[in-house]
This record gives sequence, C-alpha cells and structure tokens, in this order.
Amino acid sequence: MKENLKVVGHDAVRLDIVEKVLGAAEYTDDIAFGPNLLHMAILGSPYAHAEILSIDTSEAKKLPGVKAVITGEDYPEKFGLYLKDKSIFPVDRVRQVGEQVAGVVATSYEIARNATKLIKVEYKELPVILDPYDSIAEGAILIHPDLGNYVIEPWLEAQPGTNIGHLRRIRKGDIDKGFAEAETIVEGEYHIPHVAHTCIETHISVSKFSLDGRLTMWNSTQSPHTQRNIMAVALGMNHKDVRVIAPPIGGGFGGKAGISMEVMAAAGAKSCPGHPVKLRWTREEEFYNSSQRTGLRNKVKIGFKKNGKIIAFKHEMFWDVGASAEYGSNVVNATGFSATGPYYIPNVYIDSKACYTNNPTCSAYRGFGYSEFSFGIESTMDKAAKIMGIDAVELRRINAIKEGEGVAYDVPMNPNGLIECIDKVAEEIGWGIEEKSDDPNKIIAKGFASVWKAPAMPANESSSAFIKFSEDGSINVMVSGMELGQGLLTVMGKIAAEVLGLTLDKVRVELPDTDRNPYEWQTVASHVTWSCGNAVKRAAIDARDKILDIVQRAHFIDKSQLYLEDNGVKCTTQDSFYIPFSDFVITGIQTEHNTWVGGPILGSGMFMPEYTNAMVDPKTGLGGHPMVHYTVGAGAVKVEIDKETGRMKVLKMAEAFDLGKAINPDLSKDQINGGFVQGLGTAMWEQCIFDEKGKMLNDGFTDYKIPTIVDVPRDMNPILVEVPQPDGPYGARGHSEHTMIPVMPAIANAVANGLSVRIVDVPVTAEKIAMRMNDPKYKEEM
Amino acid sequence: MNHILKFNLNGEAVEVAVKSNEKLLDVLRDKLGAVSAKFGCGVAECGACTVLIDDLSVRSCITFAVEVEGKSVVTLEGLQADGPTKIQKAFIKHNAFQCGFCAPGFIMSATELISKNPSPNEEEMRHALAGNLCRCTGYQNIVDAMNEVAEDNKGGVK
Amino acid sequence: MDNFRYIKPSTVDEAISSKREYGKKANFLLGGTDLFIAMDKGVITPEVVIDLKGIKTLKYLEEKDGAIFIGAAVTWTELIESEIIKKMVPALWEAADLVASVGVRNTATLVGNLCNAVPSLESGAPLYVRDAVVFLEGKDGKREVSVKDFFTGVKRTVLKDDELMTGLKIPVVKEFGEVYIKMGRYEGEDLAQAGVSVFVDKNNNYKISLSAVAVTPVRATKAEDFLKGKKLTDELAAEAAELALEAIAPISDIRSSKEYRIHMCRIMVKRGLIASVSRMETGVPALSTRLI
Ligand SMILES: Cc1cc2nc3c(=O)[nH]c(=O)nc-3n(C[C@H](O)[C@H](O)[C@H](O)COP(=O)(O)OP(=O)(O)OC[C@H]3O[C@@H](n4cnc5c(N)ncnc54)[C@H](O)[C@@H]3O)c2cc1C
Ligand code: FES
Ligand code: FES
Repeated sequence: MKENLKVVGHDAVRLDIVEKVLGAAEYTDDIAFGPNLLHMAILGSPYAHAEILSIDTSEAKKLPGVKAVITGEDYPEKFGLYLKDKSIFPVDRVRQVGEQVAGVVATSYEIARNATKLIKVEYKELPVILDPYDSIAEGAILIHPDLGNYVIEPWLEAQPGTNIGHLRRIRKGDIDKGFAEAETIVEGEYHIPHVAHTCIETHISVSKFSLDGRLTMWNSTQSPHTQRNIMAVALGMNHKDVRVIAPPIGGGFGGKAGISMEVMAAAGAKSCPGHPVKLRWTREEEFYNSSQRTGLRNKVKIGFKKNGKIIAFKHEMFWDVGASAEYGSNVVNATGFSATGPYYIPNVYIDSKACYTNNPTCSAYRGFGYSEFSFGIESTMDKAAKIMGIDAVELRRINAIKEGEGVAYDVPMNPNGLIECIDKVAEEIGWGIEEKSDDPNKIIAKGFASVWKAPAMPANESSSAFIKFSEDGSINVMVSGMELGQGLLTVMGKIAAEVLGLTLDKVRVELPDTDRNPYEWQTVASHVTWSCGNAVKRAAIDARDKILDIVQRAHFIDKSQLYLEDNGVKCTTQDSFYIPFSDFVITGIQTEHNTWVGGPILGSGMFMPEYTNAMVDPKTGLGGHPMVHYTVGAGAVKVEIDKETGRMKVLKMAEAFDLGKAINPDLSKDQINGGFVQGLGTAMWEQCIFDEKGKMLNDGFTDYKIPTIVDVPRDMNPILVEVPQPDGPYGARGHSEHTMIPVMPAIANAVANGLSVRIVDVPVTAEKIAMRMNDPKYKEEM
Repeated sequence: MNHILKFNLNGEAVEVAVKSNEKLLDVLRDKLGAVSAKFGCGVAECGACTVLIDDLSVRSCITFAVEVEGKSVVTLEGLQADGPTKIQKAFIKHNAFQCGFCAPGFIMSATELISKNPSPNEEEMRHALAGNLCRCTGYQNIVDAMNEVAEDNKGGVK
Repeated sequence: MDNFRYIKPSTVDEAISSKREYGKKANFLLGGTDLFIAMDKGVITPEVVIDLKGIKTLKYLEEKDGAIFIGAAVTWTELIESEIIKKMVPALWEAADLVASVGVRNTATLVGNLCNAVPSLESGAPLYVRDAVVFLEGKDGKREVSVKDFFTGVKRTVLKDDELMTGLKIPVVKEFGEVYIKMGRYEGEDLAQAGVSVFVDKNNNYKISLSAVAVTPVRATKAEDFLKGKKLTDELAAEAAELALEAIAPISDIRSSKEYRIHMCRIMVKRGLIASVSRMETGVPALSTRLI
C-alpha cells in the first residue's frame, strides 16, 4: 500500500489551534444570546432512592423574575439512547442523589436558583443500593420495577423483575473441558469505582423554541444528530424542525455523548417560546447529573496450558451502571463481547451484567468499559506469569491474537500489529533491565499491559460528508463528526486535501449543525477517523470526479490522464498543463465558443459498514458480527516507589497502538500522551466516593484529584504502529480511547513487581501501597 | 449594594454597574464581553478563569468584581493587542491544546510566569502552572512549548 | 450568594469601628480565598464585607528589633518572593510555596490563613516551631498573642467580634535548620492531610509541630524534651517520631485514614528531624526538596 501521500501521514499544525490559542473559539457559553436570554436552574434530589409524594411549586412560581417551573407532570415520557429508562423530570421516584426533580426558568441564574429552594418536595425514602453485588442479591428492591415495559433496542437483553438492565453472555467452545485441560488456573477478583470525566467545560445547553415552534439547541455535545433524533421523537416533531448546533466543546471523553441535561434545557425552553434558555452545570452538578464511568466488580479465571497458551477463560462482570442503563447498557454489551483482552482463546465464558444501583448514572467514558475489565485481565495475566515462571511480556506475546483467529464471538480477527506494539513498548521501557533508585528508601519497578478495543456502535451506524468549493478554490468540508480536541477537523481536512490535491491552508472543516451538515451517528467509540473519514474520502472522490469530468469536457483530455495537485488540475501527458481550481470550480470553464462548462463543485459521500450484525444468539453471543474491528496496543510504566510512605511517581511511560495509518502522526501521539495521563488519574488518584446514602463526598476538584502538570511522567514515549485497516481511509483505524486502557493494570503490575503487593482495587493510592505492603492478604510471590 | 465600578480592562477605561456579590468572572463575561476567561469550577481549583490583575494572575471566579476598582485587568483578548505573543506562538507551533478550553487560563498563567522569570527551568515552570488543570493533553505539548520559550529567552531574543 | 454591603476602609480604626457596628454580621476580607467560597456555598452570609486591602499600613514585611514583622495584607506570593522569609524562616517559605496555586497565592494571605483557622492550615506548623506572636487590635486596644494560644478549635480563635489581626512577628534566630513537610495526595495542589515542621538549633534544641492531625496545630513537646541537648542520630529521630505521635489525634476522612495519617506523621517527623539537622550543618536538602 505504498502511496505517495502529500498531506496524509505528515505532521501539521492542528486546524483549530490558532482560534483556540487566540481565544477566538466561541464555546457555547461564550455566544452572546442577547437580552432575551433566560437562565435555568435545577432542583436535585437529596435522596438516592425515594418515592416522590408531592411537589409544590407555588412559592417558586411567585418569585419575581421566574418565568416557568417544570416538573415531571409536564413530561411523563421516558427517553434514552438504547434503553428508554430515564425521565426528563421524574414523576414517581428518584433513583440517585442529584436527580432533577424540577427546573426553574428565570431572568437570571440567581433568581432561578433561589426559586428552586422554594420548591417543596415530599419524599418517602426507599432502601438504597450502591453496590452491584447488592443489586443482584436475592430480595433486593427493584430500582426499575417497570423494566419490562421500557422501549429497548432489539439486541439488548433486559431482565425484567430483576435489577439487571442487560445481560450479555458469551459461550464459545467448551469452558469446562478447557479448564479440565489447563495446567495452571489463575483467578482474581477486582473492583473499579465510579470515576468522572471532568471535562473542564461543564455541560451546557442553550435551547430555544422560536415563536413558530422550531427548536434550536446550542449544545456542548459529541452527538448532535443523535440528540436531534431523540428530541424530535420525544417531542413528536419533524426532524427538520429541530436544529442542533455544536459550537466548540471543552472536552467530551464520552460524557457529552448521547443526551442528558439537554432535554431539561429544551423542556425549559418549551415553556418560554421566543427565549433562548441557558442551562449550565455547576461543577457539582457535572459530577452528579451528567454521567460517570461504570463501576465494575469482576471475577477473572484463566486456564493456561504448560506452554503458557490460554485454553480457557471465564469472566464474570457485574457492572454498576448507576440509576439508568440508557447508555451504560451498551458498555455492558460491548465489553461482553470483548472481555478476553487481545488474546486468542478457544474456550470462553463471559457474563456481563448491567446492574442498576442508586449511584449516579453511567454512560460512555473514554475506553467504554475496556479500561475497567482490562484491569482484572491484565492483573491476572501478570499473576499467572509469575506462577508459571514465564516472563510477563512473553506471556502476552504467546497469546497475542493474530489476523484470522477467532475473537470471543468467533469472527476472524482483523489484521493487527499487536506483537509489534508489545515489542516496541517492552524495548522502550527497558523491560527486563533492573534499575535502582539513588534514594535508598525507594525502589524502581516496571509494569506492563496489552489491550484492545473495538468501536461499540449499532450495526448500522453511519457517517456522511459534503464538500463544497468556493471561488478561490478553497473548500468547506461539512461533517457532523465533532472536534472534541482529538483532532477530527485536521484529520478530515487532510483526507479531503489529499484526494483533492489541496494544500491544507485551502481547507476549512465545519463544526456540526444539523441544519447544514450531513448526518453522523455520533462522535464516540474512536470510530470517526475510520467512519467519517471514509465518508469524507468518498465526498472528495465525488468532487474530484466532477472536476475531472468538467475538464475532460472543456479540454477534450481523457480523464484518465488528469490528476489533482497543487490546488489545481494537471495532466500526466502534458507537463505544462495546469488549471488552478480558482479558475473554474464556481464559474465553470469557458469554451472556444464562449459557452461554459461546469458549475459549482460539490461532493458528497456516505459510509456504513455493511458486514456488521448485532443480532447474536442471546444464550451464546455467537452468530453475529457485532464489532467492526479491534485496535490493539500495549503500555508500560516505570515507577519509583517509596517503601515507607508508599508514594509513587511514574518516571516514564511508553505506549504503542496500531492505528492502521496515522493521518497526522503528531496528533496521534498527542492522543497517547493525553489518554495516558487521563488513565494515570484513574490508576492513582481518582474515584467518586459516596457515603452510605449515596451522597458523593468529593464532588469538586478539592477532593476529586485529576493529574496536574507536576504529577505526570517527565519521560513520555508514544509509539505508532501501522498495520493498515483494509476498510479504513488510507488504512486508518481509531485509537484515542485505547490510550487510557493499559494504565491501571500497568501501574498495579509495577507495584506488584516492585513490592510483591497486589492491589486489586483502583486507585492504587500511596495509602493502599503503604498499608498493605506487609499484609499477607495482599502478598504476591515473585 | 450597588456600585458603579471603574477599572481598566485590556487597556481601556470601563465603567459598569455591579452589585457587591457579583463575581469578576461573570461581570467580565456577561457584562463586558470578555469571554476568553472560562468557567470551569467556580472555586479556584481549575485555573480556567485566570486573568491578570495588576500583572498578577488571579482566579476571577472567586474575586468580587468590586475588588478591582481602580485596577488594571487583562484577559486573553487584551494580551495580544500587538498580535500573538511569543508564548502564544509557541503554543500554536506545538499544538499545545486539544479542546482548548483551558488555553486562556494557561496562557495567562504562563504570561505571568515569563514576565517574572523569563527562562524558568522545566520544574520551575511546571510548579508555576500546577494550578491550571487540563484534561486533554497530558500537558506534554504545553511543557514543550514553554521550554522553547524559556530557551529562546535565554538567548536574550525578545 | 446574597448581596451585601461592601466597605473598604483606609485605616485600621475605621475597620474596627465598622466591625464594631456590625459585629457578627460583618466579615473582614483579605484575599477572600476562604471567605468568598464560604459565602458562595452559603456557609456564612455576612451582611457586610470589610475589605482590608485599602489599609496601606497592613502591608509590611521587614526585619527589625530581632524579629520579622509581617502585615496582614502580605500575600503568600509576597512571602515567597521575600529574601527575608527565604533565609530567615525557610520552613514558612516552604509552606507558602505549597499553598494552593500561584493564582490563589497572589491574593491569599498568611493572616487570612490563620484567621480562617482550619486544621489543615499551612501556616500553623512553621509558625508554631518559631513561637510566632500575632497582633490583634479591637475596640479595647491592641494585644499580642502567641500563635500557640491563638487557636481554640476548628475554625475558632481567640479573636473577639470587633477584633482584627493586623499582623504577626517571628523572632529572628541564628544557626538553625528547619523544614516543613506537607502530606498531600499527590504533588499537585491539595489540602494537607498532615503537615510537619521541625526546627533545630546548634544547641540541639528541637521543636516539632504537626498540623491537620488535631483540631489545632500542636507541638510535640514530649518528643522535643526527649531530644533536648542530644545530637541527633537516626535511632533518636525514630524514637522521637514515635513520641511525637502522642501529641496528635488524627481522624479518618475521605482524604486519608487515621492509620495512614499516623504512619505518615511518624515518617515525616523522622525525616524532618534528619533533614533539619542536615540543613543546619550542610545546607542540604535544598528548600522545596520533597522529603516524602
Ligand atoms: C483552591 C484553593 C486551594 C487552597 N489551598 C490551600 C492550601 O494548600 N493550604 C492552605 O493552608 N490553605 C489553602 N486554601 C485556603 C486559603 O487560600 C488560605 O487559607 C488563605 O491563606 C486565606 O487567606 P485570604 O487572604 O484569602 O483570607 P480571606 O478569605 O480573606 O479570610 C479568611 C477568613 O479570615 C477572616 N479575616 C480575614 N482577615 C482578617 C483579619 N485581618 N482579622 C480577622 N479576621 C480576618 C475572614 O473574614 C475570613 O473568615 C486554599 C483555598 C482555595 C480556594
Ligand atoms: S473557574 Fe476559576 S479556577 Fe476554575
Ligand atoms: S485542552 Fe482540553 S482541557 Fe486543556
């Protein structure tokens, strides 16, 4: 696949960096909406689980400046992405602390907020469930007694009468026979707490119903079209009359995928036609009332043959999806198909259960469940390596899945460079080389993990793109993939520029606006480089075909001799032939008869994978093709740990991912650095802490510690591996989420390697290391 | 209590009516259109709202607007009156930000640092920027850009 | 947050008479980094805020008559940038450098830190080991109070309703070594889960103070007495650290368990002792060296 690429594969400055560094980027909250703007505030539930007996809004309505008070009475319907179990405002019960019970729209935020304090709500407290084990226990109170009546995607398996929102099973091969044949069986039980995305920009929506009934929303979102769809369906409106505009977004990480608080802003706006209504989360609300990452309790059991090959693999996952599984059910689904890690295994048993709890609702979070389950797998792999006396990296090489080998749901694995990733990371981190600290109190240790992840999406997810030329030969690329910071604009721009022979300065990629830009499912799952990229490539090819066609007709040169380069058209047989785009892409080409050929050049493209199938046998998980492909990779850390205090510093990191083709290598490396550090936060410090009544005790940065510039390794080594994805644009596949996944297990493995203490519950804090170091319960033999 | 607040914003004298309990961040954004300073936490923990008051970086989210009476306030809009600064140019060159929401705060903090210590070593620089949170980048490109600025300033090039 | 009356007096007398007029309904404002947040969260709802930053006489930092004098309006940044503090009160300098972040330190003050009187306050331990004295002034006149007598509990001090703290003094000492060690969850900004200051002079007088592990900062007098006059060895340091634990009563909270706080205090006192002596004798470890 040797192409002479001019733009793709070369480093460039991000298309959006100038506007961001100059402060020109207008985020939703920066847009001026004029004096008509109203503000909304929400009254959150103080209880994690309670019946709502009554809501009295009369006092609130009387407060001067209050325009509307909204409760569930006005919105009885449920909504959600995959499983409609969520209320816009609940009528009968609240299921988590902070759940919106009422909203107030007023002339100022202060008034709206003061009015919420005047609303009187009578509750009857119900028993609270905060742990997935309690959720599935015999006799547990049902958090969603109506589960059986909810509208649900056909490929989800809700278990009415229980607290299980979805159950995905894999039964591949013969698990009992597999374990019977195993030489060594290693088990482990792990716990991952809830963590939060903590985008620096909190959620915000400005919604407006114009006087003629159109709904326009300016949302900080990853999912403009999905939001439009949910809004249109919920409100019974035509899609064309709902418009979602996505201004620049201050971080997403999955937290702004799907829809959450935007429905409340729309409800507020519906009550005040003609007024834009702004709802912006406070930092506390951001923790409670956007979404968090799924918590997990899991049991891993792996059987190995003497040569280290895995013969049997059993994984039970009890996901704490929180109060709603509307989105989290798909985390449970995707991981149910994939929770083997990147290994070829003949006999697989997986149970993945979405357990409702009264913790905050969980949805997508960078990694989509793979970080959580990989912690257990990769920790168990390291334990096993020690027991079997096989080097931990070697054990992963032995089991690394190869192209054509069956994944857990028994579909052949895509081409991949896993072994190359493993080897490059091992080399960079100095695997096998012992190092000593200068400080006698400290030791230096290394930890390793290898991982994979597939985009999790409906089988018929799709993308589309328009490209339009302007007089000077520059283009606007219209997509609805969202720039989250991952570099989408640059990637799409480069793909279009490559096909059209344009220099990057001639390319502008527009942020989504559902009125103007064509459809995209949503910007999640690290799939837009691949999916939206394919659409853009096809749109560019479409435009190119039109250009070549015009030139052929005007100049009587056969298309096959024409090509695009240097912002114009050239000819393979005539060196001197060159027509700049600016000469004709709008005006057309004048013929010798003074007539004109052509017209404004437009291209359109669409993409949908046509081999996917989500309809598996619910008993075995087999028989379908639920995932499009896996991106594989590996990561390692070198840490220094104080043996007395347990305090740990990560000195160096290396991570390699096989992204098929790096459209912009620099930006891909930036994804690795950023994802690693986000992973580091979850590995070492971050967790949502709840009291016994489900109230979060650290709903701010004071006690929810995300990494700062002094807490990150000084030696960061992102590595790119390129084994092309056959159906990816220029061979590309996504890798942004993946960068987080190796970090938690690599850190825990480093601690086990250095101090023989196995931490099975993240975060791996200094306190845990110090207090467990000499506790035989946590000892892991070297 | 209501006040007619007078101060200098980005080189120009401004006058604005405020109540005692209004926050500088809100007044800058909602009443004076200086929207580069961002709301990230509202309690001085993230640095997104950083502005310069009399050349010192301050968290505008926990500053009462009335406190800047007679002072000089500079936001990112005003910093670049003569075009992008050296720090901004370095941030552009190094793709220092991803979502960019933390960028204004980082640039203000970095500007103060470089004005006090034109060529900080890397650890000094990290220490000075530790109050600015970025969730996207892992900070590496910010560090690279700042190291370049520091290195360049050592050469005495302005 | 409700609206309030904002006044900005230009003399201490004016400030006191305003405070006298409004009593508990009024709060003084320095950097506001504690006050603003308490008001924003609705923890306190003053009707009057008296901004002390207009009082020029509260801004001083000087060495005279055998002491270092610090005015109420002096910010953490000004302390960090002061050669006097760096050379003569290095433990306070180290503490200052670990408070919050630059953007907070540029307005927040040492005096505000003392008056706010939370257990985790950074200034407590380094001032305790130096026997600092604070200046209070109210309608009944001025008084000087040893910093050790200033705190009476969590967020409680001896300050009377009409009193304000105008500043403090720290006695100058010669030939000594001292350190401040902060236990945070990571190197980035954090509130102390424990703070330890250790001071030693050439006559082997030791002073040890711990903060965030009792309702107020404490002095570990038993450990100090045990070490008095002795030349420090690693063994003595370990024994003294054990004794120092008798002075504290830490709690478990989401930041740390009680057990880990105790574990860390033992290590911090031991390392603090060794580092102070070494700093006195050889000048190392350098300021800001992370000892944990
Ligand atoms: C993000 C953040 C991080 C922080 N990190 C730390 C940290 O790491 N370590 C730490 O110790 N602290 C920390 N703090 C707390 C705070 O910054 C410090 O306590 C600071 O020193 C307070 O000083 P100030 O000038 O801002 O006080 P202010 O908020 O102005 O005043 C504090 C209190 O004292 C009263 N008061 C003020 N002046 C006087 C006076 N002259 N006489 C009597 N009463 C008076 C006020 O009414 C108020 O109740 C942090 C705060 C924030 C917001
Ligand atoms: S918004 Fe001011 S520091 Fe976060
Ligand atoms: S670039 Fe997104 S927060 Fe810094």
